[in-house]
Amino acid sequence: MKPIAPVAVLAAAYLLVPLLLGGNAYLMTLLVSALIIAGIALAWALLGNLGGMVSFGHAAFFGVGAYTSALLSMQAGLPVLLAIPLGGLGAALAAVAVLPALRLSGPYFALAILAYAHIFRILATELKSLTGGSAGILGIPGLPTLGGLELGSRNGQYLLVLTVVLAFIALYRAIWRSDYGLALRAMHDSEDATRVVGVNSTLLKAAMLFVSAFMTGTIGALNAHVINFLDPDYAFSGAWTIVPIAAAIFGGYRTLGGPLLGAIAVYLLDQLLFKALFPSGHQIILGVLLGAMILLSPNGLLPWISRRLQRRPATEVRHAAA
Amino acid sequence: MHSTASHPRATRLRTLALAVALALGSFAAQAEEFVVGSQIPLTGSLARVGNGMLEGIKVAVEVFNARNTGNTIRLEVIDDESVPAKAVAAVEKLAADKVVALSGGYGSNLIGPASEAAEKAGLTYVTSGGVSDELTRRGLKHFFRINNNAGYAKAMAGLFEEMKLSSVAIVYSTKDATEGLAKAVAADLEAHGIKVTLHAFDPAITDFKPIINKVRLQDRAEGIAMVGYENDYVGILRAAKVLKPSSVKAVVGVWSLATAQMAQEFPELMPQVYGTAMLPFPVEFKSEAGRQFATAYERLYHKEPDYLGQFGYVQSMLLFEAIDRAAKNGTLAKGGLSEELRRTDAETIIGQVTFDANGDNPHFSHRMGQHQNGKVALVWPDAEATAPKQFPGVPW
Repeated sequence: MKPIAPVAVLAAAYLLVPLLLGGNAYLMTLLVSALIIAGIALAWALLGNLGGMVSFGHAAFFGVGAYTSALLSMQAGLPVLLAIPLGGLGAALAAVAVLPALRLSGPYFALAILAYAHIFRILATELKSLTGGSAGILGIPGLPTLGGLELGSRNGQYLLVLTVVLAFIALYRAIWRSDYGLALRAMHDSEDATRVVGVNSTLLKAAMLFVSAFMTGTIGALNAHVINFLDPDYAFSGAWTIVPIAAAIFGGYRTLGGPLLGAIAVYLLDQLLFKALFPSGHQIILGVLLGAMILLSPNGLLPWISRRLQRRPATEVRHAAA
Repeated sequence: MHSTASHPRATRLRTLALAVALALGSFAAQAEEFVVGSQIPLTGSLARVGNGMLEGIKVAVEVFNARNTGNTIRLEVIDDESVPAKAVAAVEKLAADKVVALSGGYGSNLIGPASEAAEKAGLTYVTSGGVSDELTRRGLKHFFRINNNAGYAKAMAGLFEEMKLSSVAIVYSTKDATEGLAKAVAADLEAHGIKVTLHAFDPAITDFKPIINKVRLQDRAEGIAMVGYENDYVGILRAAKVLKPSSVKAVVGVWSLATAQMAQEFPELMPQVYGTAMLPFPVEFKSEAGRQFATAYERLYHKEPDYLGQFGYVQSMLLFEAIDRAAKNGTLAKGGLSEELRRTDAETIIGQVTFDANGDNPHFSHRMGQHQNGKVALVWPDAEATAPKQFPGVPW
């Protein structure tokens, strides 16, 4: 893509979307939901690409972040905007419990982290005095007004979640381009070889787990203050893992923007187009689309678009020469 | 002469025709179609109950429109896929589509955020799908429901008290509604001097033999109260059928148990089991309103109505009647629908309905049914009973 493209995309996201769609609460709600999924998809892709770990249990971090922020704002009286990053830190802290699973790899790690998600759900159900148990928590405070901008409005929610997701993309990019990122990518080829040259692979993998958990927990916290409701089944639902994985793969999980693009495409196509065509059973079309995308472009939508854009100028050059 | 003689008659006829036309014209001008939204789970984990409620809502539209009140209702339905965020989005889509009110919602976890979105949009939201006490504690201005936990607890505890049992083991799922109900029943029974033991289970478990063994060997309870969902009932009854706790004289459950579907699908597990039921099976209505509902339901769906349809029908009919009243007295356009609905005092096919300041129905009390020879008979309270209870009686 040309350097102008990201600027144009950002301008459209920050200016055009609120201006053109801001009056439609329904569309803005869908966009916020899509961005929530994008945030988890990004965190999942980071753990996979940089940490080399496939997780089926990101719902654990999402739920812990959501509960931490909700409880800190409701019971400790902390401001919501402070409680949200603390929700992320809570999720990162919960990731300490997952550290023993780092000894595992591949499907064993994936299954172990799935079990952690289940354990956290049971804990949220059983710690009734703290979490309200299975009854959950209603009336979680919404997002506040900041500098005249009402973050609790649909436009405000959109701008805040968008900013957080973009900040996470920037963090992901910074790690990717750093020496640590180089070491992490080298670990993909041969973890033993990188150890030989002095890379502490376990420490780096743990760090990526903490970063990914922090990102997912922050997104979970944001969602809790957007929906104003939590219960263990909802906060730790497997959907918080499965849908972001599908979105990341659809968009291109090996790219920085792929998870964001995938989440927006998958969620909006499903809710606005497929659901209108087939009010019940529209998820089947989504499944077919995902299958088709994997066959057409195994690397996802963003690499496919990039290839198409790169090919076009070449064609134009050939035409000019003729 | 002829012409002069016929002229006044012709004039009168023309005047009459004009008057009729004007009356019809003014009637047509007043008649209005109001769009009511329904955010409801039609897919996902709550699909079965959501679809059941929607059937009742559609019957209410049919019956209300056939009354020719001068106003008609059109329904706009959005499937919330049993996901809270999609329930909120559905309410916002319906608000953008200018619906006048909402009837629907199932599951406290969906109704909670959806009704808050409706409150923000100033839309009246009426439901029968969430019995959590938290929903009415919020004190929302536009939230109403026709049933509640207290009404289920009243029926279950009332039946046990009538049986004069000395001890009851309550086996309950740790989900929101079930846990609240189990605690309410326990408090009621203990207040009447009945010994209660509580056995919580995770919704994911399928083997209930360890719990039933405790009931058999440790509690030696005379009654088992099951507070869960269909799969839980089946698991508990299968375990009890294997272990045969000899002290037990009655097994009582709540929703989705005393139904024709359970009688047909699990004929070996259901005999003499009790559950909350608004209707006997085969369906039999004593009131004209009940027969009107059943006739319309059977015409639309070619089957007998069930409790989900019945609740969906009542909540919607009360809403439509309030819309009609508010439209006629000119308060609908001024946001007066919730106040109009709050003035409801109606005898319905689920009993009397009024709404308190929080939108709850203080009169709600369920009825208890019992599986008897492949049918479901209402056995509590006496005023609604269609047959005496078979007591003591267990399926093993």
